[in-house]
Amino acid sequence: MKIRVRIKTVNLRNIEFLIEEAFTGIVRNGLMAFASISTIALSLAVLGAFVLAMMGANHFTTEQIDRFEIAVFTVPGAAKAKADALADSIRKIEGIKDVSILDRDEEYAKFKRERPDFESAGLLGNPLPYALRVRIVKADQLTMLSTKIRALADVDHVNVGQETYKRVVALANAIRAISFAGVIILLITTAFIISNAIRLTLYARRREIRIMQLVGATNHTIRTPLVIEGIVFGSAGALVAWILLRLGGGYVVHSAQRITPMFGSFSSGLSGAGLAFWLLLAGAVIGAIGSLVSIRRFLKD
Amino acid sequence: MFRDFGFIKPHNIVHPEIPKHQHLSPSRFASVGVLGYNCPREKSVMIYVKDVSVEYANGVRALKDTSVTISKGEFVFVVGSTGSGKSTLLKLLYRDMLPTAGTVIVDGENVTAMKPSAVPFLRRKLGVVYQDFKLLPQKNVWENLAFALRVIGTKPKEVHKRIGEVLELVGLTHRCDSFPNQLSGGEQQRAAIARALINNPTVLIADEPTGNLDPTTSWDIVQLLEQINIRGTTVLCATHDSQIVDGMKKRVIQLEAGEVIRDENKGAYQNSES
Repeated sequence: MKIRVRIKTVNLRNIEFLIEEAFTGIVRNGLMAFASISTIALSLAVLGAFVLAMMGANHFTTEQIDRFEIAVFTVPGAAKAKADALADSIRKIEGIKDVSILDRDEEYAKFKRERPDFESAGLLGNPLPYALRVRIVKADQLTMLSTKIRALADVDHVNVGQETYKRVVALANAIRAISFAGVIILLITTAFIISNAIRLTLYARRREIRIMQLVGATNHTIRTPLVIEGIVFGSAGALVAWILLRLGGGYVVHSAQRITPMFGSFSSGLSGAGLAFWLLLAGAVIGAIGSLVSIRRFLKD
Repeated sequence: MFRDFGFIKPHNIVHPEIPKHQHLSPSRFASVGVLGYNCPREKSVMIYVKDVSVEYANGVRALKDTSVTISKGEFVFVVGSTGSGKSTLLKLLYRDMLPTAGTVIVDGENVTAMKPSAVPFLRRKLGVVYQDFKLLPQKNVWENLAFALRVIGTKPKEVHKRIGEVLELVGLTHRCDSFPNQLSGGEQQRAAIARALINNPTVLIADEPTGNLDPTTSWDIVQLLEQINIRGTTVLCATHDSQIVDGMKKRVIQLEAGEVIRDENKGAYQNSES
């Protein structure tokens, strides 16, 4: 009972001392701190770059899928009123984002510009039916909605680009699966590299840990500053990784956009602050767990 | 009446023949002399090692049924050749290792039966001085001493006061800002002794404290240990240094192949009869 009371008193009084010990340790073991922080920074930067690239790829493919539209053509000779009525009917279907009727004359002018031979064939008037551009909410409902539209009155033809759509969806699914597996593997590898870096830092200080034990420091007194150190190393590494990713990521996306304008919309969808938050969280958690696990080995009496 | 310490529990001694209101703490039990062992010089016992054996995994026996009793306030040299078991005996006292068999009691606490979580609190009652000093290399002298105090929750004001006193005692006040690698061997050992004394230990254990020092510095260090002993601290010093042992004329326990072969008051390094 007497010992229990003593431990409690030490805990409360020593918080300041333990934090002080952690920062003194970091400053006095500068080289090891640098080695740890740079290893953590590079590991997190590689992990972060991979996650961002995968998020970007997912975002990009999802966006491409969302761009799929359904083209609906009225029966030849249908009047504008019928096209309007058809548009209204389509809008009522659940899952439709919006419907627009293309300007028939404008489309014909465009067609004539592209195929001047039709003009020479002596066609009279505008032979084109009304065309409706239908955008949907969920890309995976494309087939189902096109079937419903096809069943409506005055619909002559519905074009969904089914084959292209299927290929893009398959590609998106493959990217998702690969990125998920990749992130898991890279996460395990990063955790392993970081905990090894921390273990090496502690190994270099094993003599110090031993002396602490011999002067009567409890495991708690030895462990706490070292865990704080691990959190500081992890967070500092995350901060460096964030800077690397912001600078490097911006450059890569900018270059890609210059080469292929299609990548104009390439973005992970994660803000700078969001990225910093997740990196700091990952760094701090991996740092704390890495330290805790590594210290256990040195504290075995 | 009770010739064996086996029945002693670390924090509570209860025996059916003693009325409950007379149950005593181990240290008081020892001081009133009711344990029945052959207590030297009628003083209370500080260190009691009974039938201790230490056998390593490779089969080497470092200690063989060794028994040693050291009273409060004694100055004892433990001598013997390399591998005789001196360091092993000392390590048992601050629970750096456990014996294969036997009992070790230090200042009334059964070290062998102690829970691992209680070991740091035992070590705070002891001061240990090593041949290689074992100072924290990243801390200066002042910080090395402060660390030993802060880990036990001493208030900063008390830390300043205590360090000042101890540094003065070991004559190292002027080097308090120096790091271990900036000190001479003798100064490092003084710093290590200062750290060992910082918590007012009841026992000072010195494992070859002069092993890395020249004869003059060694003599200074042993003089310092004697001063500490005069102040009432029990001192146990393992050494190879025959000049020091012969010059000090203190109690000498000689170990050979893990056994006590000589225990002599005011002894010399070599057996006087040989």
